Amino acid sequence: MKQPLFLFCLILSTVAFSQKSIPNSTLRTLDGKFVKIQDEISNDKITVLSFWATWCVPCINELDAISEIYDDWQENINMELIAVSTDDSRTQKRIKPMISGKDWPYKILLDKNQELKRALNISTIPQTYILKGSKIIYIHSGYSPGVEDELYQIIKDNI
Amino acid sequence: MRKIIVLKLFFFSIITFAQQNDNLFIGLESNSQYYVDDEKTGGFMEKNRFRSNNYLKIDYSISKFSFGIQAEGYEPMSLLNYSPDFNNSTIALYYAKYTSKKIEATAGYFYEQYGSGLILRSWEDRQLGINNALRGGRIKFLPTENITFSALYGNQRSGFDVSDASIYGFNSELNLSSMLKAISWNLDIGLSYVGRKEENNNTDFNFNDLTNAFSSRLNFSKNNFYSSAEFVSKSNDAIIIFDEIRNVKPGSAFLFDIGYGKRGFGVNANFRRIENMTFYSERNATGNIYNQNIINYIPALTKQHDYLLTNIYVYQAQPQVSFQDFALLKIGEIGGQVDLFYILKKKTTLGGKYGTKIALNMSYWAGLSGDYDYLNFEYDADLLRFGKKYFSDISLEIRKKWTSDWNSVFYYVNQYYNKRYIEETFGIVKTDIFVSESTYKMGAGKSLRFETQHLWSKDDRKNWVGGTIEFNLNSRFAAYVNNIYNYGNDDETKRIHYYNFGGSYTKGAQRFALNYGRQRGGLICIGGVCRFVPESTGLTANIVLSF
Repeated sequence: MKQPLFLFCLILSTVAFSQKSIPNSTLRTLDGKFVKIQDEISNDKITVLSFWATWCVPCINELDAISEIYDDWQENINMELIAVSTDDSRTQKRIKPMISGKDWPYKILLDKNQELKRALNISTIPQTYILKGSKIIYIHSGYSPGVEDELYQIIKDNI
Repeated sequence: MRKIIVLKLFFFSIITFAQQNDNLFIGLESNSQYYVDDEKTGGFMEKNRFRSNNYLKIDYSISKFSFGIQAEGYEPMSLLNYSPDFNNSTIALYYAKYTSKKIEATAGYFYEQYGSGLILRSWEDRQLGINNALRGGRIKFLPTENITFSALYGNQRSGFDVSDASIYGFNSELNLSSMLKAISWNLDIGLSYVGRKEENNNTDFNFNDLTNAFSSRLNFSKNNFYSSAEFVSKSNDAIIIFDEIRNVKPGSAFLFDIGYGKRGFGVNANFRRIENMTFYSERNATGNIYNQNIINYIPALTKQHDYLLTNIYVYQAQPQVSFQDFALLKIGEIGGQVDLFYILKKKTTLGGKYGTKIALNMSYWAGLSGDYDYLNFEYDADLLRFGKKYFSDISLEIRKKWTSDWNSVFYYVNQYYNKRYIEETFGIVKTDIFVSESTYKMGAGKSLRFETQHLWSKDDRKNWVGGTIEFNLNSRFAAYVNNIYNYGNDDETKRIHYYNFGGSYTKGAQRFALNYGRQRGGLICIGGVCRFVPESTGLTANIVLSF
């Protein structure tokens, strides 16, 4: 059938993508305040936006791996990582103790009913975005050990 | 043939337009399966060996307006065990939205959640076949950054149609501490109302067409300590058992949570009691197995385990009134859960060079005790007493990094699963499960993960053993093989290997995955909500494209 071939060609031809702005969804902070995502992103920093959940093992592995080198990253580059939790109310209560227990240095925002996840058409997590201002310049999904070094390289190339 | 070429050109140009345009988001997801006959588990008896669920979502925004549609196609039929209402293809959802600093207005289909969802939640989960979006209108008003009001009216999506019943909702959230300019503590309050109006022509029982539900909640935190509570009440509504109205009763839910977190240590405990809290947008849909027409969200408050053998006996919340027989009477559940996270510090004896992370979880769930009258479908439940034990679970996870290239996870779970009450079949199952996994970073983005697991049980299907090997070639390619084998089953014909192997290619937001294997029949649970999947063998393909 020619269908898979067509699809494959389509994918190869769509390698580049335009710089879209992140949809300005409303998220909540751990304190319960409502915030708009674009207000949380600083225009003069590179922001890494990582979608995760307390039940997603590769997400936790990725954020654990980055937390160990986060200080080094921030020393060399003006950047910030915002971890957006897509946990629903079953597992939301696990977020605070898990973060304390893991000693993560990130800003955490809650996408309680997955509004931003749906707006970005995220199907599986982890999914990580690198933003320059509110423009998406790079997307990465899944986690394989060592990919944080690739992320660092892309951030450095885009300051 | 020409139609297909035109379609392809249209598709291609829309994608190119999306590439160039930063206000257009397109998402395509396709999950398909080809089922084969299996000499161990039986032939495939249904129509159409090839099935697929496809979703195309397009969102466009311009200035303060945004529009979108979602087309869904289940061709030639949906995957096994999805609601039969999901057939053929059509535009399933559409919306138009206006957003300004203080107002947000939506017409069409929208998703919403009030509080924790005990009173109202509409969301989408494609793996579970749930999409209970509301179709109608919603207005949100944010007079200051500390207050939000929201009102909605609509009918709930069911299949490609909507429910006959109308849903009314009103929600308010107030950040009291911000209003009082408090700095060291945080307090917010929420109040909601949800009404479901469905005509009823019943003459035997007396209840309103309109069922009213109220939710009040508060969230408090100060320094390292936090706590929250939610109380929900539902007015008199028909109790439907064996497809007929048997009684009229109110419902209630109470959820309490408390926790403490400081660097290297976090603990959280929750408690919940629910009585007759099923809330359907169609009374006749009560108890349907496809999770359709559900207005609220009552997840099982237990730990989501990560491994194959730990997900065989999964607890499902029991909010419903169910009078199956004399000895099987259910009206709700009561119980709680505790989570503890701790880091054994680096360079200590137990912690080792890199530190060791520990996570402990315990949960306990039981029915409500009280006076039950089986013949009249009547009951009077005690407030805080625990009835029949339904489920308990204790798990301990230890994560250890040995060197910069090696790390391991050790996991132990002990479960008590009252099959009789949870699944309404027979038996009690007690299990002990042990898992050990290690990951080796080989450098240049390559890594290898291997896992072994074992389940000990003297009940039901008895012992299992399992393993997984996963190889990441780089950040794009991954491959895996796994198998779980029910070697302990008393029935020799049921000592089956449930094997799977496959791989995936990921680039940016695009993903392709292919898998072949034999799937164990049972529950797939996501977010505490479960869907039954039958035993099946075949090839699965997943495609996710995002522009």
